[in-house]
This record gives sequence, structure tokens and C-alpha cells, in this order.
Amino acid sequence: MNTDISKMRNIGISAHIDSGKTTLTERILFYCKKIHSIHEVRGKDGVGATMDSMELEKERGITIASAATSVNWKGFDINIIDTPGHVDFTIEVERALRVLDGAVLVLCSVAGVQSQSITVDRQMKRYNVPRIAFVNKCDRTGADPLKVKDQLIEKLGHNAVMIQLPIGLEDKHEGIIDLVTMKAVYFRGPDGEDIVVTDIPSDLLAEAEEKREELLDVVSMFSDELMEAMMEENVTEEMIHDAIRKGTLTQELTPVCLGSAYKNKGVQSLLDATTRYLPDPTEVTNIALDLDNDEKEIILESSLEKPNVALAFKLEDGQYGQLTYIRVYQGHIKKGSELYNTRSRRKFKVGRLIKMHSDHMEDITEAECGDIAALFGVECASGDTFVQTGLNYSMTSMFVPSPVISLAISPTDKKAADNMAKALNRFTKEDPTFRTFVDKESNQTIIQGMGELHLEVYIERMKREYAAEVEIGQPQVAYREAISKVAEFNYTHKKQSGGSGQYGRVAGFMEPLSEGEYEFVNKIKGGSIPTEYIPACDKGFKSSLEKGSLIGFPIVGVKVTINDGQSHTVDSSDMAFQLAARGAFKEAYLKAKPVILEPIMKVAIEGPTEFQGNVFGAINQRRGIIVSSADEGTFSTVDAEVPLSEMFGFSTTLRSLTQGKAEFSMEFLKYGKVPKGISEELIKEYEEKRKKEAGK
Amino acid sequence: MVRSELNKRSPLRVFEKSIKGGVGKGHIGVLASKKGVGKTACLVHIATDKLFRDRHVIHVSFSQKVDHIINWYEDIFKEIAKKRELEDAVDIHDEIITNRVIMNFNSQGTTIDQVLTSLRAMISDGNFPADSVIFDGYDLASSSTEDFGKLKAFAKEVEIEVWISASLKGEAPVFNDNGVPEELENKINDLDVLITLKYEGDHVHFQVIKDHDTLEPKEMTLKLDPKTLLIARE
Repeated sequence: MNTDISKMRNIGISAHIDSGKTTLTERILFYCKKIHSIHEVRGKDGVGATMDSMELEKERGITIASAATSVNWKGFDINIIDTPGHVDFTIEVERALRVLDGAVLVLCSVAGVQSQSITVDRQMKRYNVPRIAFVNKCDRTGADPLKVKDQLIEKLGHNAVMIQLPIGLEDKHEGIIDLVTMKAVYFRGPDGEDIVVTDIPSDLLAEAEEKREELLDVVSMFSDELMEAMMEENVTEEMIHDAIRKGTLTQELTPVCLGSAYKNKGVQSLLDATTRYLPDPTEVTNIALDLDNDEKEIILESSLEKPNVALAFKLEDGQYGQLTYIRVYQGHIKKGSELYNTRSRRKFKVGRLIKMHSDHMEDITEAECGDIAALFGVECASGDTFVQTGLNYSMTSMFVPSPVISLAISPTDKKAADNMAKALNRFTKEDPTFRTFVDKESNQTIIQGMGELHLEVYIERMKREYAAEVEIGQPQVAYREAISKVAEFNYTHKKQSGGSGQYGRVAGFMEPLSEGEYEFVNKIKGGSIPTEYIPACDKGFKSSLEKGSLIGFPIVGVKVTINDGQSHTVDSSDMAFQLAARGAFKEAYLKAKPVILEPIMKVAIEGPTEFQGNVFGAINQRRGIIVSSADEGTFSTVDAEVPLSEMFGFSTTLRSLTQGKAEFSMEFLKYGKVPKGISEELIKEYEEKRKKEAGK
Repeated sequence: MVRSELNKRSPLRVFEKSIKGGVGKGHIGVLASKKGVGKTACLVHIATDKLFRDRHVIHVSFSQKVDHIINWYEDIFKEIAKKRELEDAVDIHDEIITNRVIMNFNSQGTTIDQVLTSLRAMISDGNFPADSVIFDGYDLASSSTEDFGKLKAFAKEVEIEVWISASLKGEAPVFNDNGVPEELENKINDLDVLITLKYEGDHVHFQVIKDHDTLEPKEMTLKLDPKTLLIARE
């Protein structure tokens, strides 16, 4: 355990799916002497890579949940978070980025910067994560790391610069040239663990010199010392490292490393670059909100002397109970000490404190600021903040998108029902984008998430990890209703038959609201509705938004203004005004020409240009709009906007249209108006459903 | 101002009037000038005007990033909407951009055949009913007359109007007596409309060099607004 915080690194490995980041992580663990043999993802030995802890991940050969693991490299403690590559799981990526200080962006040397790399990079920008790039798979046919570097510049807008050059590519890929030391580095031995450093082969010397010049030109912008030394021709390695580090920390520079994790080339050099150029925890500004002081922003200090502040960023259900991954921002958390959860407002005692290596764990007695550790048996949710008693801080809330798709699930028997409940309870704690509720009308359990695959994975996990067999309904898009015109209301609620009566009149108008879901404006003058009943009116309107009368989905974007009304000294009450407001809303809603909105997804499809026509056709058939297409010779990318309701089963269609050679990513973009024909169909369906239910 | 009024009063009506109502389907129009005069802005304004009139436009570009072109469209739209105080600008924007597709070709040595194959795929497989295709950044001056012929045949076959920008080399391009830039002389018979852009004082002026069957330079009463980069009446 290292107590020198400057030798601590919290890094993430983010990339497009299949660019080999799981293999890379595996090699890193190996070289850091944590595991004793290398297993491939989809390995022949059936063991599977160590980081893919979930059975499902092993079967699919993809990493879904991020697992944190700690390694030591040349005296540096590195905490690595392996992150998923599918957009459907971006909340995992986002959450990992929240606790990271730096990241390695893994890119495939053949495919280059792909759609998912763009999404991940945008997320990293949002969290100001400094990054270095690793161009992997240099042993593949068509490998071109320099092209990938250019794409980093063109597509992602990075100031990317090669700090290494390949020695041979494709099947001749032998090692790398380090442009800082100007030496050739070979990775020999059965697992590439014997590093042999020699002079640069003569046939590569000219290119290496040219690229080193480029490197110096770019990085000298970050160091006056280096610039002067260049003029005086006494540049040292340290000066170059310092300059690269400065540029990287401010995210103005992306140093590019390369190699082939699969062929054991370049991984150790990447580790060196990681410890050299990525920040230690003290070099990153972390902000908490003081809940006792109007959420005032507080800059946390990476100091052991300061009170404890930690963030629970990941929950996992292990055989010993709930495992909570935390990042300590301030102070040091000791085994046996007391912490306070600012969300649940509960105190708890730190029991077992551990460091994780995927499925293996190491007991520790304390975790210091900057470190990542895990706690056992703490009742909490993902995203909770733990502080020392006396503080009331919350780490800034993470960006959580609203779910866009829902699915009805029903357990096959009683046992499955119990297990399903347990599983859902766990998943909703682990993943804020995954939600569940019981539909009041159908009495069915509904799960909601960010896409088809997102929900599919949870259903699979229910079966495998919780033995909960469930039957699933058709995926349902999260539609919304909205008004398109101004409409007036003037409604009187009156009930005077026996007992105490009810009386309330509400008048005013509703209008579309372009930003936000609901706004209530009170323009009552002269007390035509007494002040005490105004909140009841607000409540009445608000409750009307829960379910629109077109297709029963929530109504968004409504501004209600009340400007007149009437009350009765005896018969008026909160309830009477709530009901009057509901009546008024109902009266005006249809006059306000309501429309149905549907989630529109931003879809990026990449594949060989020869299938471009098929891709265009598939988008067109799905009511999609092609925004742009980019032709890069044999490879092309299509960006489109497609309604989510039309995207079901798209992966299968795309596979068959392109012989499995194209892939796509998709994320929520906006809500858009449903075309008239489809809107009419939806309304008809809803009416039929209601009639059926009424007839029951 | 409402959309129909904006279309009626657009300076592009003057523009069309000076070239017999427009380039027309199956024909090719060329906008030529030296670099940095404002060809892209003009083409985007021409395209946006078509979008305002419910036409479908494919913008073919040869740049590094698609975002850059999208930004051009956004800027030109904003300037027009601001200048004309366009009503319901947000809705109109969202509606008209659905009729626009940007196709970018960024690999070196893209051939006209590749571009035409992709265009064909977009129009037929993608079912995109293109009325006009805008070519910006295509190296027209160096392209062969054979390639130009292919483009012309394509325009005729699928009945679209094509606008191309031609970047003239050097600081002072050479023009012949008819006002035709030297670099385009070999294509003057195949192209239908040729307009040149030149600095005169601090303004960029338009001159019609070829107007379908008439090859005779004549001034257009239009200029490029140096602030907004919109085509404007003089």
C-alpha cells in the first residue's frame, strides 16, 4: 500500500466495443504481477478474462459492469476501472468517469475512431478527464496507427501526437520506437514480459527523427524550458516528459501510444505513459455540495487531515452480500470508523474494507484520500455520498438520462416472483437509468431503461444470477403528450347533494412551454380565489399531467395561468379546488390541440461502403432522417435520427443487410412529434384498450 | 415575417431571374471564384432557399468534418431568420432540415464514380427525393471533361439540378474575353450556368458569364453581404 498520493493513479479504460480493452486490461494485470496466466476474452481454455466477472459477460465476450481493480506498476498504485463499451450501458461509463482522474482511450488500429469512441470521448470531456490514447491491434491486417492519430485530431478534435512509432505492422509488428528516449523497444519471451531496448533499426531512423521533431514541436508549446532547450539543443528526456504531462493534464494534448495487447506488444510502455502523464488525485479538482449551506460548492482537498468524504460509485452483489465501491476524496476511511450517508441520513460503521482485483479481494485497514476501495454490507444506493459525522456534503449529482423504453415482465411462478423482486431491488440500486414500477391499471411490473439491449441484459441477469424466470411483453416506447396551442378554461366544480358541499371555480388558460415540463402562474387579483386554495389549484393541474387523455402517457411542456375564479365561504375546500383544476385541465386540454411525442434516437451506423444503399434504405423504412453520411473510401458512417419505436430488432436487420459487417450505436436525442397517421393509430389502440378494460 | 413572404422577397428570386428562372433540372450551374471569396456561403444560401421552398437538397462535400458544414447551414439559417424576423423559426428550422442530407467524402482520391454511386444509393435506396445537389470543395478545375460528362449525364438521368463551386487557383485568376476563367474553358460547353464572384471595392459582386445558351458577361444586381455572408440586393 502506497502512502505517497503522488504515486496514485485512478484510471479508466474506455473504448468502442471490440477494440480489445478487456484484453488490454488483462495484460496490464498480468504485467503488474497480479494474475499468473493470461486468459483471452472468449478464451480457448474457457476461463475468460479476469475482469469479466459476470457469467453473462464471459458468454458474450463483452464487459458489461465495471469492476475496479488495483495494481502496482513500478511503485505506482493504479486503480483501474474497466468500463462497458455499449451505449446502452453508458451510465456505467459515466459513473466510472466521475471517479476517475485520467483515462486511456483504446482505439483499434484498423477501425480507428468509431462511433462509440466519439460518445465516450464526449463523456470524458464532460467530466474533464485527461486522456492518453492507445492504438491497439497493430498486428491486424490494415493496421495504420498514424491514420488513427489523424482521426483523433479530425473527428475528436484532440491535439494528438505520437509518442511512439511502430516497428513493423500487421504480422510484422515486433515492437515500438520510443520517440522520447529514441530507442527501439521489443517485447520478447512467451508473454512479452522480457523488454529488450536497442538502438532504432537503421531503416526506421529517418522516420523516427522526423516524428520526434513533430513531437517536440507540439509539446514545446507547453514548456518554455523545453522550447529554450530546443534552441540550445540540449533537450533532456525529463523536459519532454514534463511538457507532455503538462499538456495532458490540461486536456490540451493527447499523447498516442500503440501496440497489440493480444500479441503482448507495447503494454508496459503504456503503463509507463499512464504513470508519467496522467494526474494523481491531488491534481484534479473535485467539488462537493454543502447541503447545509444552500448547496454551495466546496472544493475538496486531497488531504488526510480533512474530514472524510467518499462517493459510492458502484454496487455489486457478491456471495458475502452487497459490495460498495467507493472513491475517497478527502480524509481517510478506517476499518471500524463511523460514516454518515447524506442521502439516507443514516450513520453506519465501516466493517470490512477491501481492495478489489476483479473476483479476488484483499483486506485493508484503511483507504486514503484519492484511493478506490470497497466496503462490505453497507445499505446504500449507487451515487450516495459518505462523510464524516458532522459534515453534510453531497458529491455533485451525476447526469442521469430519463429512460426511453419500457417492458412489462411477469414472473412464471411464486419463487420466481420473490427472486424477481430481489433482483429488481438490486438493479435499481446499481443503475439509476434502470427503473421499475407496478402499473396501477394492468397490475404488471414494468421495467424501464435506455434501450433494448439494456433491458435484455437485466432480464438475462435475473435468470442467471437470481433464478428468476420471467415472461416479457412487447417493448413499449415512452411516449409523451404535449399541447400545441393556447386554450382557455373556465370550470366550476359544484356538488351540493347531501352532506357538506363542494364548490370552486377556476378560470385562465394553458399554453405550450418550450423548456421544462410544467409551470404554474397565479395571476388572480382581488382574491377571487383565496390565497389558501392556490396550492390546491396547482396540485390539481399538476396531477392532471400524469396521464394524458390521448394515449395515457404523461403530458409535458404545459404552462398554466389562472386569472379568475370563485369560492364559497362554506363549500370551498382544498379538495374542491383540486377537482376544479382537474376539470379545468380536462376542459382545455383537447382545445389546446394535444400531440403525441416520441423519443427520437441519434443513430450512427458504420460499415463497408458497399452496403451503403442497404443502410440508407433501412433508415428510410424506419421513418428515419439521414443527417449525413461520411465516405472514407471503403468504409462509411451514416448519422441518422430515427424514432425509437422503429428501432426494435434493428441489430438483426442490420446484420442481415450487411452480412454482419456493419454496426451501430444509438442514444437518446430528443422528443419529436409523431406523424399524424401513426398518432391516429396510437389513439385508436388506446381507445380499444380502454374499451376492453371497461368491459371486463 | 411568415415563410411564404420570406420566399417571395428573397434576393434569390433576383438571382434566379438573371439566369432564366434558375439552373433547372438536368442542368449544371457553376459558381467560380478564387479561394476565400464566399462560394460556400453562397451555395449554402442557395440550398437553404430551396429548403425554405420545400425542396430536397443533398449537399456533397469533401471536407474533413461534417459538423463544419452543418454549422454553415445553421449560421445561414440564423442570419436569414434574424434579418427577416421569421415567425416560428424554430419549427421551420426543424422541418426544413429533414429535407437536407449531407454526404461527405473525405478520403483522398475519391472518384466521381464513387460519389455518383453513393448519390444514387441515397436517392433510390434511401428514397430521398432530391431536387438539387450541391457540390462544394470538388476540384472541378482539375477534373477531366469525361468526369464532368458523367456528372451531367447523372443530373439528366435522375432529373436533378446541380450546383458546383469551382475554386480558381492563385491570387489573380485569368479570365478570357468572355469572362470565362481559364481553368474552366474546357468545360464551358457542358456547363449550363456559370457565375463568377469577384471583389469590387469592399464588396463581392456577382457576374453571369454563361446563362444557358447565352455566353455573354452581364452584371447581377446582387452582392454578398460582408457581415452576414448572405446574398443580398445591391
